[in-house]
Amino acid sequence: MRALTLRAARAAPKPPQDVDLALLWSALGLLLFGMVMVYSASIAIAEGSRFTGYQSGYFLVRHGVFVAIGIIAAVVVYQVPVRVWQQAAPWLFLAGVALLVIVLIPHLGREVNGARRWLPLGPVNLQPSELMKLFAVLYAADYTVRKLADMGSFRRGFFPMALVMALVGGLLLREPDFGAFVVIICIAMGILFLGGINARLFTLLFLFLAAAFVILIWTSPYRRERIFGFMDPWSDAFGKGYQLSHALIAFGRGEWFGVGLGASVEKLFYLPEAHTDFLLAVVAEELGFAGVLVVVALFAVIVQRAFAIGRQALILERVYSGLVAMGIGIWIGIQSFINMGVNMGLLPTKGLTLPLMSFGGSGILANCVALAILLRVDWENRQLMRGLPA
Amino acid sequence: MKFANSPLLSSLLPTWRARFVLLVLLTAFASLVARALYLQGVNNDFLQQKGESRYSRVIELSATRGRIVDRHGDVLAVSTPVKSVWAIPEDARLTPAQVRSLARLLEMEPREVSRRLAADSDFVFLKRQIAPHVAEKVAALNLPGIHQQREYRRYYPAGEVTAHMLGFTGVDENGQEGIELAFDSRLAGKPGGRRVIKDRLGRIVEDVESVRKPQDGQDITLALDSKIQYLAYTHLKQAIVEHKAKAGGIVVLDAKSGEVLALANLPTYNPNNRGRLSGAQLRNRALTDTFEPGSTMKPFTVALALEKGRYRFDSQIQTAPGRLTIGAATIHDAHPHGLLTVAEVVQKSSNVGVAKIAADLAPEEMWQMFDTLGFGTPPKLGFPGEAGGRLRPYKTWRPIEQATMSYGHGISVSLMQLARAYLVFARDGDLIPLSLIKLDTPPLAGRRVFSGQTAREVRVMLEMAVQPGGTAPKAQVPGYRVAGKTGTAHKLEGGRYSNQYVSSFVGFAPASDPRLIVAVMIDEPSAGRYYGGEVAAPVFSRVMAGALRALGVPPDTPLAPVQVARQNAAREVPAVPESM
Repeated sequence: MRALTLRAARAAPKPPQDVDLALLWSALGLLLFGMVMVYSASIAIAEGSRFTGYQSGYFLVRHGVFVAIGIIAAVVVYQVPVRVWQQAAPWLFLAGVALLVIVLIPHLGREVNGARRWLPLGPVNLQPSELMKLFAVLYAADYTVRKLADMGSFRRGFFPMALVMALVGGLLLREPDFGAFVVIICIAMGILFLGGINARLFTLLFLFLAAAFVILIWTSPYRRERIFGFMDPWSDAFGKGYQLSHALIAFGRGEWFGVGLGASVEKLFYLPEAHTDFLLAVVAEELGFAGVLVVVALFAVIVQRAFAIGRQALILERVYSGLVAMGIGIWIGIQSFINMGVNMGLLPTKGLTLPLMSFGGSGILANCVALAILLRVDWENRQLMRGLPA
Repeated sequence: MKFANSPLLSSLLPTWRARFVLLVLLTAFASLVARALYLQGVNNDFLQQKGESRYSRVIELSATRGRIVDRHGDVLAVSTPVKSVWAIPEDARLTPAQVRSLARLLEMEPREVSRRLAADSDFVFLKRQIAPHVAEKVAALNLPGIHQQREYRRYYPAGEVTAHMLGFTGVDENGQEGIELAFDSRLAGKPGGRRVIKDRLGRIVEDVESVRKPQDGQDITLALDSKIQYLAYTHLKQAIVEHKAKAGGIVVLDAKSGEVLALANLPTYNPNNRGRLSGAQLRNRALTDTFEPGSTMKPFTVALALEKGRYRFDSQIQTAPGRLTIGAATIHDAHPHGLLTVAEVVQKSSNVGVAKIAADLAPEEMWQMFDTLGFGTPPKLGFPGEAGGRLRPYKTWRPIEQATMSYGHGISVSLMQLARAYLVFARDGDLIPLSLIKLDTPPLAGRRVFSGQTAREVRVMLEMAVQPGGTAPKAQVPGYRVAGKTGTAHKLEGGRYSNQYVSSFVGFAPASDPRLIVAVMIDEPSAGRYYGGEVAAPVFSRVMAGALRALGVPPDTPLAPVQVARQNAAREVPAVPESM
């Protein structure tokens, strides 16, 4: 009887305080808020389109299924020790590269709006670039841990990673998926930086790239116009600036507390991609500055928690876990920043979804799995701090 | 794992880097908040104004066009709601069977429907202005991408009978002819406006404010009497068929008030179905066409002579031998008459007699009278294209011209002008303006043209003209004393008088207390008879009889058989001055 109780106690699930509640609630909050906003933003286009069969709940039902799958996947992933991910990282990364190759093969990859980004899998489409972001985090962390001793060396520390990223980046630009390219490069560079790569070397490289970028832009008015056109959407408001100008109007209409949930006008066929890339504009219009502030704050909490968990792991000398946690923080942070920056006209318009919120199965799944890994790192940290095996 | 867990290596990961990256990310988030603050708290007015310009619209709330009713309130023109069927071609993916059933309802070729649905646009009309019950059936098909919108269509219950009087409206309901044009501003009302927000497909999603309410158009109550209008139209039509005439017109006036009780022209058209229209059908001849009236002008000349005291009712005039030469031209009578009184000159319509009377009048006196009677100037009823007719300045008149004008040649008038001028005989010398609109109170007094004595004397002469021995016994109406005058004039074609005639009759009844004036004009009767007394007078008689009964005017003479049979009706003939 006593032995049984002991065994039961030992096998019992972790007590509640073993979870980073701020992180968990922020993520769940964004998921649920996202579901509400996806429904609100998509209801008009779903009702008015032949492709959705004129069903107002078309996108809501699908998004709900994606979120459910994502949460189930997260629960499963939460049970997987981080070390398993470390061992699998190179293989997962290879699998990701393979998928990026497959998606480029005509007839296998599905092309939408001139971009070949999706692999049709029965009823749903898989977007390999979304999974690749997660694999990039896992692989870059693994790489850095293996090469910790060489981080001071350009040739042995930086160059191999740059080569691999050039390959992945090349594949992504072939689709093209410029947004995923930027996010994955940021993840890889961020993890290398956190992993202690030679700071002077890194700074020089950064300055060199920045200079090259500036020269490229200043020598070509066309490129300059392409890149900086977003700064004045009103000069061509019905052409190139169409989407952005409508997003900005949505922000302006929202004012402090918005026009009310469901009352957006911009989502009524004016603002393209309202339920995916431009979901924040609908939030801004319907719920105003207050709504935007909540979204930004929740993402900030997630990023802050990811770094806190990562630092804790580093203190506990679990370098891989720490880099993975901070990599996930960089990923969520960069992607949400770019998406929101695009919505507000701070950054040039590129196709990137808002993590945890925008409509899209692959993205939601990858985000949920990433957060589950983050929570797992945190749990292992807590176990170690209690002197228990992780 | 062992390698990574080594405490030596962990020092290689400086924590400042993690703090630095986190700081960069949080700064980025802070910049987002700042940007949102700017967009939503500072620049929001500009952005909202940009938004308004894209989806805020003032839509017009159409005012319902007023009805046109006759003096008894019977509806003559009304706007009825109809539906127009339109489609968004992109949404309208129909099966061939659906296209066929839609085309059948719209009475279109299936191929035509498919062709319109294949158009490369967001909006296409399939059919405008279909009846509500058809629209319901179309809606019941429940086809995707097929929509309906409400419109109004003008409907004229009396159709071609009132066509020229009422005119018609365009597709967007603005008056284009007749009363519809003359009273357009009153009928149309003022459209209102509503500020709304529209989605990108043009559907209204939000009412922002009502800018102004629509003001419906006013109803117009015409002086027209539907019964009399119908009588006038049918009898005119019958005469035109009978005499194989080219055209014709008829006007009925209320002598007491100057109201226009009926106005009809032929050929006419159906205002409800204006598929193919010719100019001839559209012409409101009674107002827009002028003709040389002929003998119907004689009473005015005689009245002026009586008024000026140059002649008396029974002054005698030698008309033998039925010819009169003035300068190089000669005037003829149809039959030589010999010695006639002034009254007989009118009764028998002697050109020679009237010309002799006119010779004692100054051109200026005659011109003054014609002008006062309204000849030479448009009657200004508000109808489009009202003609004024030709009345040359008296200074240019040659003696022969003055002579021919005295019996209605060398002067041109419209039927409406002629009918109005006869008011002076029916109203004891008083001339009042005409009214298309029903009057609550008749005008008190108009302009005195002749003395009551003169008018009454001419009335007796005009009564004689429709009695045996006159030119138009067929104008008689059983039970009523009738007065009137025939006219038969050669038509001027290319500056020369041709062998075509305009036959007319203008008269009034009851002669004891005139109530109605009827003027009839038949253009180019070509079935053999062409005298005004034969062609126009019977129309006058039938219309007058029916109208007097309709108005309940008490008879002023015992009902006696009309004495027409075997009486040799005097004939007036269109005397064409030679070398003119």
